Amino acid sequence: MSNSTIIIALSTITTGIMLGTIFSLVAVGVTIVYGSIWMPNAANGQFFLLAALFAWSASVSWGLHPAVAALLVIGISVPFSWLLEILLVRRFYDVPNRNISYFVLTLGITQVLTGIFSVTYGVWSDQFQLPPIVKGVTFLGPFPIANNRLAAMLIAALLLAALFALLRYHRYGRALRAVFQNREAAALRGVDVRAIYRMSFILGNGVIFAGGVLFAFAYAVDLTVAWTMSVTAFAIMIIGGPGSVVGALIVGMVFGFTQAIVSIFASPTIAAFSYLGAMLVILLFRPSGLFAR
Amino acid sequence: MMPKLTRWWPHAVFIFAAFGTPVMLSGNRYFAFIAGITLISVLWSTGMNLLYGYTGLMPMMFGGIAGVSAYSTIGLVAVGWSFWPAMLVGSLGASFIGVILGLPSLRLRGFYFTLCSLVIQTVITLGFVYFVNLTNGDTGISQIPLPGLPGGGRLSGLAYDLVLAALAVIGVILLTLIVNSPLGRRLVAIREDDGLAETLGINVTRQKLFAFFIGSMFASIGGALYAPYVGFISPRSFDVLMSLNIWLMVAFGGRGTIWGPVIGAVLLAPIPFLLQDYYTIKDVVYGLLIIGVIVLLPAGIAGGFKRAPRAAKPAALKPEPAR
Repeated sequence: MSNSTIIIALSTITTGIMLGTIFSLVAVGVTIVYGSIWMPNAANGQFFLLAALFAWSASVSWGLHPAVAALLVIGISVPFSWLLEILLVRRFYDVPNRNISYFVLTLGITQVLTGIFSVTYGVWSDQFQLPPIVKGVTFLGPFPIANNRLAAMLIAALLLAALFALLRYHRYGRALRAVFQNREAAALRGVDVRAIYRMSFILGNGVIFAGGVLFAFAYAVDLTVAWTMSVTAFAIMIIGGPGSVVGALIVGMVFGFTQAIVSIFASPTIAAFSYLGAMLVILLFRPSGLFAR
Repeated sequence: MMPKLTRWWPHAVFIFAAFGTPVMLSGNRYFAFIAGITLISVLWSTGMNLLYGYTGLMPMMFGGIAGVSAYSTIGLVAVGWSFWPAMLVGSLGASFIGVILGLPSLRLRGFYFTLCSLVIQTVITLGFVYFVNLTNGDTGISQIPLPGLPGGGRLSGLAYDLVLAALAVIGVILLTLIVNSPLGRRLVAIREDDGLAETLGINVTRQKLFAFFIGSMFASIGGALYAPYVGFISPRSFDVLMSLNIWLMVAFGGRGTIWGPVIGAVLLAPIPFLLQDYYTIKDVVYGLLIIGVIVLLPAGIAGGFKRAPRAAKPAALKPEPAR
């Protein structure tokens, strides 16, 4: 193999892992919320972008250390989600067919945030990238990769592992999965369903925020990423099976690698077409997804 | 069965207002233009009302269908067709595409259909951006010529406004006729429970596809006339936010009533123009209105369904509130 082949291969693999972990994080955030509250969060891409832009403001405009800015943003997601939960989300917990109400509600939030971003950040700049946490470049054979991107990749993978462990082994995770499976039975067994709803909304959004910050460390962000991310996360959730965390993980990684490979040969639009096509097929012929729980 | 003549007085008022407003505003081209856009929005929201209000489907690809019609009409005009046959072919074609895109509604319900139509809308928008040689991509098509008239000259100014008024009036009357016919009652039966409607001998497939054909027809005629009226279209003109805004007009006014969506369009369509310099705030305003409608006004300002949808569901479906 010549050097250039190795470079292309390594670049595809690292991009695939990077995008895959980010996609998985966001999709897990969406699927946790859908699985428990039955809320399809169409605003996930806007939350993702909000986190990236806010971390940019905190580190570039206010001069905080990027790591501090990242932690601050992820911390802020907790009161932010809690407030949304109290103001809007809570009202629909007992409404039948609430998924469509939630869908429209989050589309409304999407539109509000789109408008706010376009008159603020859209005016200030085209591209937003966070200053690196770690400087320098590592060589994997002939292929150079920024340490910063490696760090973002590592943190994203660790977060995914932690999330998986939390949902599988921790008391809260078990309660959450009980509510996923049968909320009446879970309530009878003494699970506080409303508290679980609130926790999963906060946890889901926290994960989406973390995904946004990590993405902004690895790549420059522009405002159009929000809608692309929303659609991609929905595609991952539907294909993996709504509410299935394993499905979101696996399909998210597959999507990341697909995007990395397709981007070499064709435009990202082709990748988007292929996701959307796959999602349509799954919706029509296997609505419970590939990894139905 | 035709309803009694006395029940048509709101239509008379509407006809008077639809034709009178452009005439009254003809002194000021800007206000007349706002009135024209509002009339197109009335046509669009009336078509959306047939689907969302009466058939119980919530398509998010409405704007995309209008866009297909607008782009194909302009494309045909650009290759030398005259406007009216181009519009006929463009809007009929877009309506058939609307029927095909409505096919998933036969398998999917509620949120899953809406999500599916949102995906379709996104694909259409990406298509508008991607096929640059047909649509000129993100730059959009500008300086669209006004429709030519058979006797020479071009449709413009007040005459164009009156054509739009006539179409809005025809749309509303057509919807009234459909709603008061057996077909309308079958659609309402499908909205309430399509499984039950099927057991009662209603051909759900045919009714749903018919509703999609008529609804898409409203969307595509509106789209074909919108393009020369504004003179500029881009993929952004027919994106998901536009579909959402038309949905908002219906939901805000009151779905499942004839006049609710008309009122919704009249109240909401002028907002972006009245904001003028703060035009970009319109997304925030519309977004807040969507949230407000969902949270505070599920039946819209015209009252919507006589049976409140929440109370209508059997109590057994309600999950027990946990403490």
